Amino acid sequence: MISDDLDLITDTVEEQAPVEACTKCTACNTVCPVARSTEIFRGPKYLGPESERYRDQHEATVTAGLDLCSGCKLCEVTCPSQVSIQEYIRRAQNKGAREKGRTLRDWMLGHTRLLSAFGSMTAPLANFGNRNPVVRLAMEKLVGIHRKRPLPRYQWLTFERWFKRRRQQAATLTLPRKERTVAYFYGCWVNYNERRLGEMVVHILERNGVNVIVPKQQCCGIPAVVNSNIDLARTYGVENVRRLSTLPAGVDIIASSTSCGLMLKHDYSHLLDIPGAEPVGSRTYDICEYLWMLHEAGDLDLTFEPLDTRVLYHAPCHLKSHGMGYPATRLLRLIPGVHLEEVDEGCCGISGTFGVKVEKYDLSMKIGSRLFEAVKAAGSDSVLADCETCRMQVEHGAGARSSHPVEILARAYGYR
Amino acid sequence: MRFDIAVVGSGLAALVATRSLQKAGRQPVLIWPGLSSLYFVYATIDVLGYRDATATEPVDNPRAAIGELIAAHPDHVYARAGLEALTAGTALALDWLREAGFSWRGGLDRNVVLPTATGTPKPSCLIPDSMAGGDLGRDDPVIFCGFEGYEDFVPELAASNLSRTWGHAPGSVRGLRIRPPRFAPGRLFTSIDLARSFEDVAFRREVADRVRTSIATNGDRVRIGVPAVLGLTHVADTHARFEEEVGHPVFEIPTLPPSVLALRLFDRLRKHLQETGIELIWAAPAHAAEVSDGRCHRIQLKSPGREQAVEARAYVLALEDTADGAMRAGVHTIQDPFFHRVLARSDVPTERTLESLFKPQPFAQVGYRITDRLQPADDDGRPLADNVFVAGGAIAGYDPSGTKSRGGMAIATGYRAAQEAMAA
Ligand code: SF4
Ligand code: SF4
Repeated sequence: MISDDLDLITDTVEEQAPVEACTKCTACNTVCPVARSTEIFRGPKYLGPESERYRDQHEATVTAGLDLCSGCKLCEVTCPSQVSIQEYIRRAQNKGAREKGRTLRDWMLGHTRLLSAFGSMTAPLANFGNRNPVVRLAMEKLVGIHRKRPLPRYQWLTFERWFKRRRQQAATLTLPRKERTVAYFYGCWVNYNERRLGEMVVHILERNGVNVIVPKQQCCGIPAVVNSNIDLARTYGVENVRRLSTLPAGVDIIASSTSCGLMLKHDYSHLLDIPGAEPVGSRTYDICEYLWMLHEAGDLDLTFEPLDTRVLYHAPCHLKSHGMGYPATRLLRLIPGVHLEEVDEGCCGISGTFGVKVEKYDLSMKIGSRLFEAVKAAGSDSVLADCETCRMQVEHGAGARSSHPVEILARAYGYR
Repeated sequence: MRFDIAVVGSGLAALVATRSLQKAGRQPVLIWPGLSSLYFVYATIDVLGYRDATATEPVDNPRAAIGELIAAHPDHVYARAGLEALTAGTALALDWLREAGFSWRGGLDRNVVLPTATGTPKPSCLIPDSMAGGDLGRDDPVIFCGFEGYEDFVPELAASNLSRTWGHAPGSVRGLRIRPPRFAPGRLFTSIDLARSFEDVAFRREVADRVRTSIATNGDRVRIGVPAVLGLTHVADTHARFEEEVGHPVFEIPTLPPSVLALRLFDRLRKHLQETGIELIWAAPAHAAEVSDGRCHRIQLKSPGREQAVEARAYVLALEDTADGAMRAGVHTIQDPFFHRVLARSDVPTERTLESLFKPQPFAQVGYRITDRLQPADDDGRPLADNVFVAGGAIAGYDPSGTKSRGGMAIATGYRAAQEAMAA
């Protein structure tokens, strides 16, 4: 007999619906940026829940078109039935890659941290090479990295070392006792490519009476996930969960990279199924989300220097998946003289390392073209986006300056 | 997170409520549950097509008919929302459509009868300009033009159905199929695939060429009905150029879901809200209203990582059904996830549905009981919270399908709920 169903109605955090929950409404297909841009992509409905019903652990994975899914998750945020569409696609991509073997390029891109550590150690040389047409041609032919894709600059002084040095200097001073302490998950980008962003995050938090600590950490694993290497991502994730779990109670975790934050909040406990990941996820905050919390608690310093700037905000796809609205726009509206406009032209097209690949570069630029046009038409001083690869793509595709929203906040606090 | 007023939903009721609040100078936040399948059935905004679900004669003047309906049925959703809310909400919606870049026409005093994809006549109230040429009140001959490989629109069927009911000269309706360029022969595709292709000028011209050559023998006064696939954006322009290239008036016909007409509407209106400063919260289903002293103090969002509370002065629950989180259906009960009340109980789950698709379905009647101010109510009709208001399909007894009143009911309840929320 079927028991009373009230028990089946759960009210837990973040439910995930099984494939059967798919009502075949096609809402996901209508928003998929890849399906919009190429006819050969069959779309999230078919590649996600529909194919999932027929996927068998013991049979070879049908991979046709699967690797074109960029992982933006717009399908998931649009699905009214909370079907984990992209997770199905990810698992199938991963299984396919394991059966067929990965290319050297995808292996490398999955190991962003290794690559970046090397790039940072050899910064002048790496930066020269990444901008040299001959080297780039060779990279395209040998490795499969599109020659037109600008690669990020590496910095010799990593964020980690900068922070350590600063602590040593500060140890001689006496730091004021702070009531709040956060652990900063800075991620590979801040560490190897944009230390300044990390410096600003630390400055803003400290200015607001928050003590910042920097625990030892590993790559969050998203580059490995998107390069169909879930096992590697899990190894990284397990290490991070182990380290972050030892943080004292009451210490929240802050991320300034949208996708790192989403990995910690969501993917560790879902896609990667890492034991102990939930308590880590539940104390993780995006930097702007955290600052807005401070503001609501009445603890955000509102003595801003007025600015005079017109900025355009582009919400990264993965930010939508955070389920927190747009805290950056709320913060920016607190600053006098910031004229904020928003565009929602969907995905910028780069999706992490997706748009770097030789066979996907054109598609990535086509996906982003609507955003590029909107950016050009807006004529703002800069485009703000919380995600680093969105910023790379906007700068490349629209020729506009792009920065993280906290840069404006830091400026308003007088940080130069 | 604290906001002025929180609106939950993604359908027309939610959008109209949000826009009304915005226009009144308030700061609503829109908690967006995803694009529910229901919204894909929109094409036009129907206000009242038939007096009741069994009527066969279409309503000519919706405003007048709704006045009579309200007088006769004080419990009807239109009576609860009020004719004033419908009138003011419709004016607001039409202004908004214009501001957001749409070309629509119509008003509450007249329905126009247009052919559906199966060739049956259907009354509608507010319509996009691209559909206006289908007006069956006019007598110029109609050619339904379909596309090989697109199976959701069968021109021969539309033609044979319409010629049976439409009282004009024999031979004034016919069907035609053309092969769209570029799609590999034998490939099946959707309305969205076609609409995307139509945004490409070369594709559009090629299709126009093929249509023109196929109808060359047919005299001057003929209009071409095509499935609504004339692009996803810049439709007015695409439509005008396509008409020019074909050499005959062309009108769009709404298709089976996913309806391109609905997609244009919902995508653009949502973006327009965002462009004008309204914050959207994605990927965070709302539930669990916390009530004390007769007021709701917060609702919970299921965000990745943790639950988050949204605190607002008032809340508009503008959800539709079980798909978007208005209700949760179990085997025997349907429950409301905000106040945790059982809305319907059935010993046999199949009691909720009738076999005939075209009869009013029992499940469609299930929903929140409401007060005269659209607050969710307990069994005695007392409000569950003074500052929560319900709009759209989640209201008990809200079943617009038989009477063709989906858009009007959404606008009236969305507008009224917004007014009440401001006063709460
Ligand atoms: S949006 Fe969700 S329910 Fe609809 S077809 Fe896609 S997966 Fe299925
Ligand atoms: S994750 Fe993005 S690219 Fe992949 S199927 Fe979903 S919407 Fe399409």
